[in-house]
Amino acid sequence: MSRQLRTYSSELILVGLIVLAAVWSSGLSPYFLDTSNLLRSAQFFVIFALMAFGLFPVVVQGEIDISLASTLAVGSVLFALLSVRGVSLFAALPIVLVATAALGAVNGLLVAYAGLPSLAVTLGTMGAYRGLAYLLAGDSGVTGITPDYRLLGSSWVGIVPSSVVLALIIAGACALLMGTTSFGRYSYAIGSSPAASRMAAVPVNRTRVAAYALAGGLSGLAGLVWVSQYQSARGDNADGSILFVLTAVVLGGVSIKGGSGRAVGVLLAVVLLGTILTGMQLANVPGTSQTLVIGALLIGAIGLPRAVQLIRQRFGSGQLTAPAGE
Amino acid sequence: MTASVQTVPERLKERLQISGGSAALRIRFMGVLAFQALLMVVFTALVPRFIGWGNVQSILFTAAILAMVAAGQTLVVLTGNLDLSVGSIMGLSAYVVYDLASQAPVLKPYVVLVAIIFGVVLGAINGFLVAVLEIPSIVATLGTLSVYRGFVSFYAHAREVSVGELPQWARHLASANWLGVSAYVWLAVALVLLVGFALRTLPWGRKIYAYGSNPRAAYYYGLSSRRIVIGAYIGAGVIAALVGLLLGAQVGNINSLLADGIELQVLAAVVIGGVSIWGGSGTVYGAAMGAIVLATINNGLVLLGVQEFYRLIFQGAAIVAAVAVDALVQRRVQSATNRRAIMEVTS
Amino acid sequence: MSRIQPSRRVAGLMAFATAALVLTACSTQAPGSSGATASASQSGGSAVKAKIFMAPKFTGLAYFEVARKGGEQAAKDLGIDFKYIGSDKPEASAQIATLTNAIPQHPDALVVSAIDGDAVAPALEQARQAGIKVVTYDADAAVTARDIFVNQLTYELAAKTMLDAALLNSPSGGLVAFISASPSAPNHAAHVKFMKQLMDTDPKYASLKYVSTVQFAGDDATKSQEIARNLMQAHPDLKVIISSSAVSAPAAEQAIIDAGKGGQVFATGVALPSSVRDFIKSGNSKAFMMWDPAELGYIATVAADELVKGTITGKEGDIVDAGAAGKYTVGKDGEVDYNKPLIFTAANIDKYQF
Repeated sequence: MSRQLRTYSSELILVGLIVLAAVWSSGLSPYFLDTSNLLRSAQFFVIFALMAFGLFPVVVQGEIDISLASTLAVGSVLFALLSVRGVSLFAALPIVLVATAALGAVNGLLVAYAGLPSLAVTLGTMGAYRGLAYLLAGDSGVTGITPDYRLLGSSWVGIVPSSVVLALIIAGACALLMGTTSFGRYSYAIGSSPAASRMAAVPVNRTRVAAYALAGGLSGLAGLVWVSQYQSARGDNADGSILFVLTAVVLGGVSIKGGSGRAVGVLLAVVLLGTILTGMQLANVPGTSQTLVIGALLIGAIGLPRAVQLIRQRFGSGQLTAPAGE
Repeated sequence: MTASVQTVPERLKERLQISGGSAALRIRFMGVLAFQALLMVVFTALVPRFIGWGNVQSILFTAAILAMVAAGQTLVVLTGNLDLSVGSIMGLSAYVVYDLASQAPVLKPYVVLVAIIFGVVLGAINGFLVAVLEIPSIVATLGTLSVYRGFVSFYAHAREVSVGELPQWARHLASANWLGVSAYVWLAVALVLLVGFALRTLPWGRKIYAYGSNPRAAYYYGLSSRRIVIGAYIGAGVIAALVGLLLGAQVGNINSLLADGIELQVLAAVVIGGVSIWGGSGTVYGAAMGAIVLATINNGLVLLGVQEFYRLIFQGAAIVAAVAVDALVQRRVQSATNRRAIMEVTS
Repeated sequence: MSRIQPSRRVAGLMAFATAALVLTACSTQAPGSSGATASASQSGGSAVKAKIFMAPKFTGLAYFEVARKGGEQAAKDLGIDFKYIGSDKPEASAQIATLTNAIPQHPDALVVSAIDGDAVAPALEQARQAGIKVVTYDADAAVTARDIFVNQLTYELAAKTMLDAALLNSPSGGLVAFISASPSAPNHAAHVKFMKQLMDTDPKYASLKYVSTVQFAGDDATKSQEIARNLMQAHPDLKVIISSSAVSAPAAEQAIIDAGKGGQVFATGVALPSSVRDFIKSGNSKAFMMWDPAELGYIATVAADELVKGTITGKEGDIVDAGAAGKYTVGKDGEVDYNKPLIFTAANIDKYQF
């Protein structure tokens, strides 16, 4: 039992923080504890959640992808264009997902086979894909989305918005993918030690490309959610949101150095960020304070365990831990 | 146990000689130069006006600010870390320092000093988070990016510091020409040379290289990783704060969003300039060249009248191309040094 | 290896099962949406203070802060419960979040400057369904998403005024280049389109010619300056740089002065008087233009209040009575044109303290 607790300690901390945030938020604003409003607000975070689940395996492998928001824009613009041209959603879905997965795969190929640093590669493609999205969208963007494309953002399963259900399904699929399949095991292995994985005959390059393609595809799917919720698409869609996505992944207990982290954690982190932001916005807290709180939360959550350890080392009397010379 | 500890410093020494005995770095630097030359040839062929002295001056002026911040960023990148908060430090320094000076004229002569203090404090906070609390640098500086920027907008309350409130000398400096070239360009040259010199000759600089190329070995060699990393962040912070003053003077009307998002440009310059994102290799001269390459691309595409979309795509492709060249060179060098190591062992 | 196969199959089955469940349970009726309408609709009557939220594109720009003061003034004059809300991030999704979270607080009206008029439309439509009146100012949203749009200047008048300012700077005309915020800023794009048309057709502006490629600076001062310098290099005969961005225009003028071209090349367009006062006083620049953002914010807030009180409904022909700020007739598609352009010159700049 206690071992279980320890393995899931970061998730438990997140749950605790969510509860705290919820209590705090309901104190901030009397409108917070309203189920239908909460679910409506949850809808807003689906786009970020999908990108976060795409980024998650990439980070587990010890890499990063900051081009995802640009990939989303390519996806949303493609969906919008196909919708306006009368292509049915069932035909458009595979086309766009393959296209955005291909954009992701380009990142993956450059990182895996050419051995380039992922931050630099995706810094480049972030700009390039954004340019592509502007090019496709034209100056005025695309509007007049047909109803079938809007269904996802304007339908409910019981009282839960469909897009939220989609995010939960993707979360479940992501957890299964990383927890039970060989792709998942390979990803953790690569993240812990790429060299050792190579020696253990793990198909490192293929697994990397797959992770990037998956991230691209999920961003494309997030593009569909964008189009369905906001009924339009422009080249600048989701510009700047990668910082939020990265915050969610890291806050979810996924080590940026690779090799650890779980899908549940990412989901909980999105919920936590969503709770805090929704609470503050319902209380009309100025945007500046929101930025400050999120930044401080990120630093605090990641730095706190180590800070506690350091303080214990210095002031704790009997229980000195092993010197940190590893 | 003892055997392994003894061999590590030797290996480290060897590595230091290799990376310091800079044949590889020179090749890499030649790579950026070649890329820049190629750009210039292409642009000149398409728009002859490109190569005019006025235009070259304009490119250098644009590159100056970027090159200076990139020099600071290089310090951090060499240690195998990143500083995403430079834009926020620049904005904070520019806004808060000039605003304080305009409200308390006593401070006006000490503006530079105040900025340095800000740079040291903000850089030290970054360094503390990364080196002592061991938060991965992307995460830590992503957090301080928000916090520092949040502080400026909190302080600014959507007000602007207008041109008239700036100290006169700062405004003069922004428009000054020394020997036909903008003062900012000279300042950038001086700063890049200074940082380059410090990195090559001062123990502080050599330790940064040593630590970056192999943090573990540096630890066994008795180098204090904390001090090195914090030092690098303080260096980057001070440079960013000072350049913030320069940028503020150049822009004139300063709002709380000044230099927002510049970190990506800076990172691009550093990467194009061949500073390895994994740490330990690369030079400030390369990073400065990277800044010039970026400024050249932006300038050339405006001269050509190219649409924004293509500019984004072209710039992105240039970054990827630059890291690809970097990787190729590194692999060459690595295989060469491996061969040398094998020969030394067998002989 | 063999252990993995069954679990994969289980995963597939589970995914299929959930998908099936979702499809069968799907509905397009918003839960509880009917209740929301009733609770928010409030009968007219001046006894209850109207609760009005103003949401700028994003907070932190001086321009919106001036408009906010106008809104606050209206709130004081009319006894409105006024709140200024918004994110400090210039992103459409951030504004959507702000608006979505405004709805449950049941304000009587929202006064919004839309950062992406199409993307925020669904959120605003939701607000209207909940009985909230929606007024846009500065930047419009889709027509169906709001009751009234208080337009500072019609696109054509804005274009004309900017060209007038350009001619005040360079009376002999010459080459003009444009800096906009982003390819997706609709009002900037429309201004440029009208300016190009006017230069092509109107004899008054025949002395002006233009560079057809528009440059984009994303409301960033540094970027605007770089572009201004590059434009001067690209076109040695350039006379005027025009920008609809209140950040880009002054920044470009500063870059021109620093390049030693002050008085030869001019930047003009939209700018707050406070940020161009020094340029005009030093004689480097002769004219910038804008409107009074405070009055714009005032009128928009008054219009929202009148919608709430039911004195107007937003249909064509209604009259918004903003007291000292004037009376304005609602035109086609609920558009109210404020249309009081200001051109700042050395003669009048000291009159404007914003």
